[in-house]
Amino acid sequence: MAEMTRRRGRTGYLLLLPAFLTLLVFFVLPFYSLIATSLYDPSGSDVEGFEMTYHFSNYWDAISDYSGPLFRSLVYGGVATLLCLVLGYVLAYAMAFKAGRWKYLLLVLVIAPFFTSFLVRTLSWKLILADDGFVVNTLQFLQILGDDGRLLATPVAVIAGLVYNFLPFMILPLFASLDRIDPRLIEASSDLYAHPFVGFFKVTWPLSLPGVVSGTLLTFIPAVGDYINAQLLGSTGQRMIGSVIQSQFVEANNYPAAAALSTMLMIVILAMVLVYVRRAGTEELL
Amino acid sequence: MSQVADVPTEQVGDSSYDGLRLRGVSKTYPNGFTAVDTLDLDVPRGSFIALLGPSGCGKTTTLRMVAGLETPTSGEIRLAGDDITYAKPYKRPVNTVFQNYALFPHLDIFENVAFGLKRRKVKDVEAQVREMLALVELDSQARKKPTQLSGGQQQRVALARALINRPEVLLLDEPLGALDLKLRRSMQIEIKRIQTEVGLTFVHVTHDQEEAMTMADTVAVMNAGVIEQLGAPEELYENPRSTFVANFLGQSNLIEGTVVSRGSDVTSVDMHGIGVSVPTGRTHTDGEKGWIGIRPEKVLIGEEGEALDAPGNTIPGGVVTDVSFNGVSTQYLVRMPWGQELAVFAQNTGRTRIFRRGDRVELSWRPEYAFLLDFSQDASAGAQKGD
Amino acid sequence: MLQGVGAVAFLGASAAALKLPFFGTDGFEQDPASCRATDLSASQMKLIVSNWPSYIDADEDPSTLSIFEERTGIAVDYSDDVNDNAEFYAKVRNQLGSCTSIDRDLVMLTDWMAARFISLGWTQPYDKANVPNLHANLIDPLRNRQWDPDLEFHAPWQTGLTGIAYNASKTGEVRSFEELLTRADLRGRVTLLSEMRDTMAFLLKITGANPDDFTDDQWGVAIERLREVVASGQIRAFTGNDYTQDLAAGNILACEAWSGDVIQLQADNPDIKFVVPEEGLSLWSDNMLIPNQATHQANAEKWIDYYYEPAVAAQLAAWVNYICPVKGAQEEMEKIDPDLASNPLIFPDDDMLANTFDFMPLDAKQSNEYEGDWANVTGG
Repeated sequence: MAEMTRRRGRTGYLLLLPAFLTLLVFFVLPFYSLIATSLYDPSGSDVEGFEMTYHFSNYWDAISDYSGPLFRSLVYGGVATLLCLVLGYVLAYAMAFKAGRWKYLLLVLVIAPFFTSFLVRTLSWKLILADDGFVVNTLQFLQILGDDGRLLATPVAVIAGLVYNFLPFMILPLFASLDRIDPRLIEASSDLYAHPFVGFFKVTWPLSLPGVVSGTLLTFIPAVGDYINAQLLGSTGQRMIGSVIQSQFVEANNYPAAAALSTMLMIVILAMVLVYVRRAGTEELL
Repeated sequence: MSQVADVPTEQVGDSSYDGLRLRGVSKTYPNGFTAVDTLDLDVPRGSFIALLGPSGCGKTTTLRMVAGLETPTSGEIRLAGDDITYAKPYKRPVNTVFQNYALFPHLDIFENVAFGLKRRKVKDVEAQVREMLALVELDSQARKKPTQLSGGQQQRVALARALINRPEVLLLDEPLGALDLKLRRSMQIEIKRIQTEVGLTFVHVTHDQEEAMTMADTVAVMNAGVIEQLGAPEELYENPRSTFVANFLGQSNLIEGTVVSRGSDVTSVDMHGIGVSVPTGRTHTDGEKGWIGIRPEKVLIGEEGEALDAPGNTIPGGVVTDVSFNGVSTQYLVRMPWGQELAVFAQNTGRTRIFRRGDRVELSWRPEYAFLLDFSQDASAGAQKGD
Repeated sequence: MLQGVGAVAFLGASAAALKLPFFGTDGFEQDPASCRATDLSASQMKLIVSNWPSYIDADEDPSTLSIFEERTGIAVDYSDDVNDNAEFYAKVRNQLGSCTSIDRDLVMLTDWMAARFISLGWTQPYDKANVPNLHANLIDPLRNRQWDPDLEFHAPWQTGLTGIAYNASKTGEVRSFEELLTRADLRGRVTLLSEMRDTMAFLLKITGANPDDFTDDQWGVAIERLREVVASGQIRAFTGNDYTQDLAAGNILACEAWSGDVIQLQADNPDIKFVVPEEGLSLWSDNMLIPNQATHQANAEKWIDYYYEPAVAAQLAAWVNYICPVKGAQEEMEKIDPDLASNPLIFPDDDMLANTFDFMPLDAKQSNEYEGDWANVTGG
């Protein structure tokens, strides 16, 4: 009997092996080397190589030099996530409860933009928001935008681009969790004297929280790290942390700074996610 | 075919009636299916009525229209005199115990029960909820989540959640369907006890005839969107007015017969050459022919030639084709000379022997137990297959 | 969207490929003599070329490429997978830095990156005897580059001018870089190029330094000037060649631009003008390099020599519209298209070329430092 359990135990570990190896190769090793790189002496170069000097001040330098883009990224990512949540919730709700047999067609339409390139989709926003374009002209006509006002190369365009590009990541988990809600629960709340509005906040919203949490995480994390939208739709004042990391790595070849910034971004996001998940109280729901 | 229970004909919209009143209510879905067809129903205040019928008969749709979860295509629904036909569900003094309970999974038991009170901004929620949980014997479970409770406990939570609002009418939609047989029996008694205790009007939808008869004061048998017959359980059982009711409630032998004469007390019928009589009050057809109905347990069985203790005619020439002994009683199938097999339930009193297959027997019944139904109705309507 | 993550993963993977423990990395310098593969050209009639997009007339029939294949019997595996100098460097850095093959026989890189490749010892020298046309026909302004004065390692593929483009239907003539940075009516409607050397050459010029030879202090003055200009809101963005869309759409009125792009834009919109700024002419080239461990060196040399035939160069220039680096091509162009032969943006005259400047080669440390400064200013 003991022999038996031991063998079964060994099979279990064997089955875990592929996952373990995948994690090791695709997460542990890169992460380890990222941390190592972030501690190199920044005075090195590709010609001389980089020396490991446990140069922790790379982190302080990164913070003091790039707190602006870092903070800006968190703000843009946060605003874009919030807008995605509002837009996405309305759409996912309509799909789950009102669309009937059109439900899955709508789902396909939500995913459809993924069939074209991210870059092309973002560039097409340049046409939509062009200075002489329809949107700007309309806003100018309505006196919302001044006569020489513009949208391109402003935070508005960057956030619009972020919202557009990451909306599907919000809609899909929201739809999944809303679609799972038994419509009888909503009937029951109505039967128990809850105005539909109250019923939404007391029943539908709390039951959709798992979707809200995963949707906001799936949107926020990549939105904070994104740099394409800021680069194509923004101006010099809208640079995000992703683009700093990219230029430090690719252009300035300052690998230690790029690695320190990446690590820090990861830590900041991880901390925010932990606090958020804790506050949202989703452990109980999941 | 719809009927009005023990209420003299009153005009539509009379606001003096203090119970639940449905008049000419119909529901036709966009796909053309008519779930409820011009239904009239009165439910007196404080009574317990069961809507009984097979699935698709319109009983749940009727209930949902009363709850406000469906809007009638035509007709009127009044509650204590107020027209609530088009009132929003959250504005009706009506609460529902849903099929599968529909408890809020993210709220604990206490919050589930308190939900309605809190929406109405009632004071003293805590005490009322405690009291209600005590009534359904769940005081110790108040802080658990619904999924941590057994089916029977969830059922009681659903009941408490609705009852605590003291609605004018409590609607129960197949509330016991998900429970096993034993639990179902005890819950039937429990719900009945609670109803007596709180004195509210209960409308109970079920497809289980035994459940309906056990619990309700009045049973409305529904079929194809209309009420076939409405009345007290004994009355429905003893004196069904249609083949559907005769078959759906319990079991009936329906034998073809021709009306010979109609007297003031009895109707005489020729049944395959044998004269039988049916009381006038149990004659439900004006036609030439009819179905003579008799419940299996009312049929007496005896040895060929033996004098049976019944004032009615003896029907000879039966042959036992099937015997099933189940302790308290024995069920026989007896092939009659005209080829039909009649069901007979005999109490095992010991006074007669237990017959065996192939035995020749005579049958008999007291005329006052027989009933006569419209011949145009399907003799197998409402029969539950495999039951 | 995943570029950021990708960069991180790439960064991780690249470092992991080298040395795992918490040790540093060695330099990436190599010796071309020891990183040389055996030339298989004689037995394999093959050539693998990596170039920038839209940089060859391959869709024409016949094209310079198809004629080359026919004439030499060499099958060319041509791909346009160079989109950005820095990105390409990041892509091949680990292989070339460790003396392994990148499976290419010829790559086209801009001057400064070509200089970096050559100084890191990543490219193979040409056999001078195999490229006589290069030595005979390269136009004079492109000779004697500081980083490879004797054309041992590089041959310009195409050459361009960095200057100013403006939309004449929306604004008046823009004559100098100074105007671009200061004119009030252009405020917020100007873009500059995101290639550090292109833009900073002009800034150095404006602040009185010589881009061919400047000091750290002069650099500091120039970058400070740019910082002020950016802070004033004059500059809308720093772009790659996507400025063409903005210029055509009217989102911007004027910009720093590359000559070839503007010629192509002018075909659709005659209002777009290209100006040689008063500050001078910045001339640059994309150069053909044979990376270490390339296995078809001789075939690559055949390609280089072929494209330095004036007739071939003219045929190519007629399609790509950049400056042709080959002497005698102008005469050949007369036969193809006289208009193009007299276009100074394809065949600049001596006056234009008299005032050209270059960006001095930077060592790795300077490059990192300047690129860092540049990134900080352009990123706000």
